Amino acid sequence: MSTNPSTAAAATPRWDAKRLGWPRPRLGIAAVALLVAIVFPFVSPDRSWLSTAALVMITITLAQSWNLVLGYGGVWNFGQLAFYALGAYSAGIIATYLPVSPWVAIPIGGIVSAVIALLLSIPVLRLRGIYVSLLTFGFAEVVRLLIIADQSGVTGGSYGMSGFTGFGFSGENALKINYWIGLGVALLTTLVLFALVRSPLGNGMIAMRDNPALASARGVGQRTYQMVIFAISGFFAGVAGAVYANVFEVASPTLMGLGPMTLIVTMMVVGGLGTITGPIIGTILISFVQMQLQDVPEVRFVALGIVLLIVILAMPRGLVPFISGLWARFEFWMNEDQDWTDDDYEDEPEPETRSSRRAQTEAPKAERTASR
Amino acid sequence: MNLVLQTLVSTLVQGSMLALITIGMNLVYGTLRVLNMAQGVMVMVGGIAAWTFVANLGWSPWLAMILAMVIAALLGMLSYAVGISRLIGRAGIDFEMTAFISTFAIASILQNLVQLFYGPRQKDFPALVPGRLQITEGVSITWHQVLTAVIAIAALSALGVFLAKSRYGLAIVAVAQNLDAARLMGIPARRAYVLTMGLAAGLAGLAGVLLAPVYFVSPNMGDLPMLQALIVAIFAGLGSTRGTIIAAYIIGFVQAAVSIFWTSTYAMPVLYALIVVVLIARPYGIAGKPQEARL
Repeated sequence: MSTNPSTAAAATPRWDAKRLGWPRPRLGIAAVALLVAIVFPFVSPDRSWLSTAALVMITITLAQSWNLVLGYGGVWNFGQLAFYALGAYSAGIIATYLPVSPWVAIPIGGIVSAVIALLLSIPVLRLRGIYVSLLTFGFAEVVRLLIIADQSGVTGGSYGMSGFTGFGFSGENALKINYWIGLGVALLTTLVLFALVRSPLGNGMIAMRDNPALASARGVGQRTYQMVIFAISGFFAGVAGAVYANVFEVASPTLMGLGPMTLIVTMMVVGGLGTITGPIIGTILISFVQMQLQDVPEVRFVALGIVLLIVILAMPRGLVPFISGLWARFEFWMNEDQDWTDDDYEDEPEPETRSSRRAQTEAPKAERTASR
Repeated sequence: MNLVLQTLVSTLVQGSMLALITIGMNLVYGTLRVLNMAQGVMVMVGGIAAWTFVANLGWSPWLAMILAMVIAALLGMLSYAVGISRLIGRAGIDFEMTAFISTFAIASILQNLVQLFYGPRQKDFPALVPGRLQITEGVSITWHQVLTAVIAIAALSALGVFLAKSRYGLAIVAVAQNLDAARLMGIPARRAYVLTMGLAAGLAGLAGVLLAPVYFVSPNMGDLPMLQALIVAIFAGLGSTRGTIIAAYIIGFVQAAVSIFWTSTYAMPVLYALIVVVLIARPYGIAGKPQEARL
């Protein structure tokens, strides 16, 4: 995935996520969830549920891509929707003007977004914290204004693009197939994110977020790491956009802006930034609640804002870390001979001073951020 | 020549307006370390409150302006009490990030509440003073623009005097400069925070009333000023008052020049490109301090 093995990885020949304190994935729960997701089209009450579910899958892809850079990377990127829209518009333009399959349009949409993300990262990553959010948010707004102001007819201005065929499925099962495509993309994105976060690149990235000084002192090159993260994140956002354009056969400036941004940020924050499951759970919860409130759009967004406010005040780290924290306490209560803050790695024999010291500095953060 | 004059006049008006909005954001960032995303919404609240008083109740626009400022200031204080005060000093979270998202949520709630009660339609707002001022042949500005610039500059000067001379202003500056030292001198930091939030929102509300006749009053009238304020804020470097005012006039000039000599559609993208270039050369804006990057 990356060309930047960290120095610690070079020192230890084998990269062992478990010994670094990453919790083991709960394969059973994941398998059940996946099964439910696969059979969902057969049990969904009606078309609007299925349509929402398809959108949920695309949104999960987008939220995971954003999660990578915002939650794990600690880069305050608030312009992710621009990459999403760019992916959607790329797919739309390809479907309208080029005689290629929509399957080709998806990676192309991703690559377009990735390249633009990489270019944007050059000025953005010279900055820190709040300045990054200003510049990226400004970027997204400028992209939106440019699309709205476009008079050339290529993007359709404020009305957006439509009239292209998308995947071209028709008939009874079209929506189901579209849903499964979305599911596949969301699953793939999540798996890539999972692998990435547990790779040397991911560990360096998290170290940089939690302690930039220590991370650079240990040879994690900030610029390169964050640029790679930015590009990967942009790629998946673009893919999400391209899938959106192909599934719903439309690309419009309403994909961006303050409203959609509030929506996705709420999903991520409610679920828990910097966790794998958080954005998934947040997206599903918020999407179906939103679907129920569809008839009252203003109330819908007011409710969304209130939910975001309450969650950020009551449990700033999100639902998933909050619940897994409770679960850890519960387990401690069940077997009281252990202190619940103890981590397993301290009981293990230490084979080599360097790697174990690294493990000690990294593992508590890993525990905190990767709790599933 | 006429176009140049027109540009300069436009710069003065726009720059003063931008300074008025951005200075509040900067003040809040300087004292609280919160990027207040609700600033644009406060502009809108000011406009909509003034519109309510003038169009619905038939009050004088001048009274409405003062009331709108007060309402925006109260809302700013309320948003501090609801959204920010609880996050201060909490362990285990990134305060800047959570507070940013929190103000963002407040902005979203307020904007949609206004949309719920007033509808998305754009509303006309009467100019505070009618008529135009003829400067030379072919160059004229409305009296409203003159008034906007005058009020904005007066408000900024008043703010400057307040921060430099008054007890409360000095408390705000002290908290911004060094929180620990300010506390040791017996300055109640939390009260300074409330005051700052109120001031910032009040200035934004004033800007909203002044912008209302130009942009119309609608739930998203604050979006564009917010975006411009963000650009000014990055350009200036957060936390610097003098830098903000200089940056506001520079941005106002670029915007006016692009709008007059080219097209207003590309004013924003050109500004953005300019910002990117500036940031590549000076990552902390024209007046920001590199120490802002605290480890």
